[in-house]
Amino acid sequence: MSFTRMMEGNEAAAWGAKLSRAEVIPAYPITPQTELISNIASMIADGRMKAEYIKVEGEHTAMAAAIGASVTGARVFTGSSSQGILFMEEPLWMPPGMRLPIGMCIVNRSVAPLGTLRPDHMDSMLQRDTGWIQLYCENSQEVLDTIIMGYKIGEDKRVYLPVATCYDGYFVSATATPTTVPDQKEVDDFLPPYKHEWYSLMPEDFHMHGREMNIAKARYEVQQAQETAKTVIEEVEKDWSKRFGRYYDGLIEEYQCKDADAVLMTIGSMTGTARDVIDEMRTKGKKIGLIKLRCFRPFPREELRKIAKKYKAIGVADRNTSLGSAGGGIMATDLARALYDVDERPVIADFHVGLGGTDVTMNQMEYMAKETLKAAKAGKFKEAVDWVEFHDLGPVM
Amino acid sequence: MSTNKLFDEYYDRVHLQGGTTCCPGCGGPLLWRMILDAVGPKTVVYGDGPCAMCAIRNIKLPNFSIHFSFAADGATGIVAALRAKGREDLTVVSSAGDGSIGDISIGKVSAAAERNENMIQICVDNEAYMNTGIQKSGLTPFGAWTTTTPSGKEAMKKDIPLIIAAHKPPYVATASVAYPNDLKAKLRKAKEIKGFKYIHTVIPCPTGWRFDPAKAIEVTKLGVDTWVWPLYEIEAGILKVNSKSEQKPVKEYLDTQGRFRVMSAEQIDFLQKETDTRRKNLLEANGKKLFL
Amino acid sequence: MSSIVRSFRPEVDPNKCVKCSLCQTFCPEGTVMLTEKGIIFDYRFCKGCGVCANECRAKAIAMVREEG
Repeated sequence: MSFTRMMEGNEAAAWGAKLSRAEVIPAYPITPQTELISNIASMIADGRMKAEYIKVEGEHTAMAAAIGASVTGARVFTGSSSQGILFMEEPLWMPPGMRLPIGMCIVNRSVAPLGTLRPDHMDSMLQRDTGWIQLYCENSQEVLDTIIMGYKIGEDKRVYLPVATCYDGYFVSATATPTTVPDQKEVDDFLPPYKHEWYSLMPEDFHMHGREMNIAKARYEVQQAQETAKTVIEEVEKDWSKRFGRYYDGLIEEYQCKDADAVLMTIGSMTGTARDVIDEMRTKGKKIGLIKLRCFRPFPREELRKIAKKYKAIGVADRNTSLGSAGGGIMATDLARALYDVDERPVIADFHVGLGGTDVTMNQMEYMAKETLKAAKAGKFKEAVDWVEFHDLGPVM
Repeated sequence: MSTNKLFDEYYDRVHLQGGTTCCPGCGGPLLWRMILDAVGPKTVVYGDGPCAMCAIRNIKLPNFSIHFSFAADGATGIVAALRAKGREDLTVVSSAGDGSIGDISIGKVSAAAERNENMIQICVDNEAYMNTGIQKSGLTPFGAWTTTTPSGKEAMKKDIPLIIAAHKPPYVATASVAYPNDLKAKLRKAKEIKGFKYIHTVIPCPTGWRFDPAKAIEVTKLGVDTWVWPLYEIEAGILKVNSKSEQKPVKEYLDTQGRFRVMSAEQIDFLQKETDTRRKNLLEANGKKLFL
Repeated sequence: MSSIVRSFRPEVDPNKCVKCSLCQTFCPEGTVMLTEKGIIFDYRFCKGCGVCANECRAKAIAMVREEG
């Protein structure tokens, strides 16, 4: 039976894992992911969920156990944050190259130094070269839906890639918003049992995905799978929308973009703040819109190239840093590369905001929107990247 | 039937293809032939110890490994998945080398023991990081030459079997390829027990220990007969010594291998005394519940 | 094939062999087998390590230098 109630992101994620019928869950606690696994533990203990929950001793082991279980033929779910993601980094490279559709949550939290429990996107974006699919969620509902869709995407024969559902620690993981939990039977109809055609460890049927010895070829194949994933993600989301009535617009969402001069590009929970700010600015006649980047890997190169010429400037809210980079944050770098050879490309106004999990306030959002509109008018942005937190923008609300 | 065909059938029967890329005289393939004979074909093998990996590649049963620093963890996932799929009729044998179990993955093996994972964990111990060119591990014996301990290792060999026994798993044992009946009996016993079973085997490495490959079994046997590598089992906490109590002088074992040539007379003396104490303690505790 | 990498190959004297099969037990590669016709070697994969000759109590196996 489907039901709706207020639910924190970590509980919604647990429901996502349960409805996906995840069979093996090796996980290790770390703030702010902790409630995700304690919720799963409760659900298994009281019989609401049936899964093998392995209380591993560390994240490195969590991913290794995930790989072992996935190769054996089980649908696997895990999750971590920050230092935990870094600690599991060594095995984290294996699933994409091995084409194992493991599902995981990255409950975003910044990385040390300086130690903090609060969110930015360093932990997940550091993994952008691995080949994992990365989808970013704005609220509890999106987390629940994305986890289930993630398995449909990753387990598609044309893809066979692991999927990371990313959501901000605290702002999504511990913030309750109205969430509809779909009916198990309807989810079963949408997501069939897991069966990988390339792997079996059963003696009757032993076969393993051939070890491609040519590294270039092996990586090329993963790249091709990432490209194919773009189509599959759109397909799966449309299917989900037909069945459950919620559509996330695929790889990117354009919000209030009609005849906009400039747009802000946000990712994750700050999108909620952006929607409110842009709504308000629109009532004041400012021609500002919003692009929500839902899918970070594969980076939606084609979609962005298609719409880029509509806007004179794109303001990128990079809740991350790539120190020593060519200029600015990770999203802006990807975007610049995607748009580099577009004939009438927009100005890119890059902002560092919300680093280390500081709140992205409405003032800051408004500042970024105004600066982007200015850049649209001037035809250029004042600097490589604007560190928004260093500006005194007055009281928060 | 032609010789080739006879052997092809034999390799199928023993579940191990002859002709590994291991060094001549390596105890690795020999160990695997003995293990697989004991546990039988309803087995999934996990892991590598980089040297033993050369033998694992030849196994004709389902096998999978991640790589070096992943002892017992992938196997944990395999065990859970088999349980989820209702395939607990399959035995999971997890193996790793001394560098993996003794050093980089010791936490993982400890955790698997604590969780009482239903697997047989084997340590394929050739007493150094051999595959990468003979570097010292925590399980390299006292006094041994390696490329990173050219004057001989200063620290004692870590006692992994007793460390694991302190976790109180249902079964811990030491074994040797020089005593195949004892080794196979231990594996057969482990197969019938539910929970975490740990079997530590020292295998000869002619390349790293510096001796004529033809002497591989002779040297391994001396290791046991001098009580440098005693054979025992700890079942439900109770110790049973399998080695016969007669002891050959440790020097007889050390003299067979070039890696011990850097040892001084005092060091050999020290090692003899340590070995004697160990033997005394084991024999005194024989048949008793161990204080761990 | 293995004769390229092998310096010595084992050869058995069937008159001395007592068919105890210790050589088969201890051959690291599994390339020694006791059959009704006596001890045979798989020269495709034998590495010439000499363990079989060393372990044979009857001294029935000799390590003979590979030709060429």
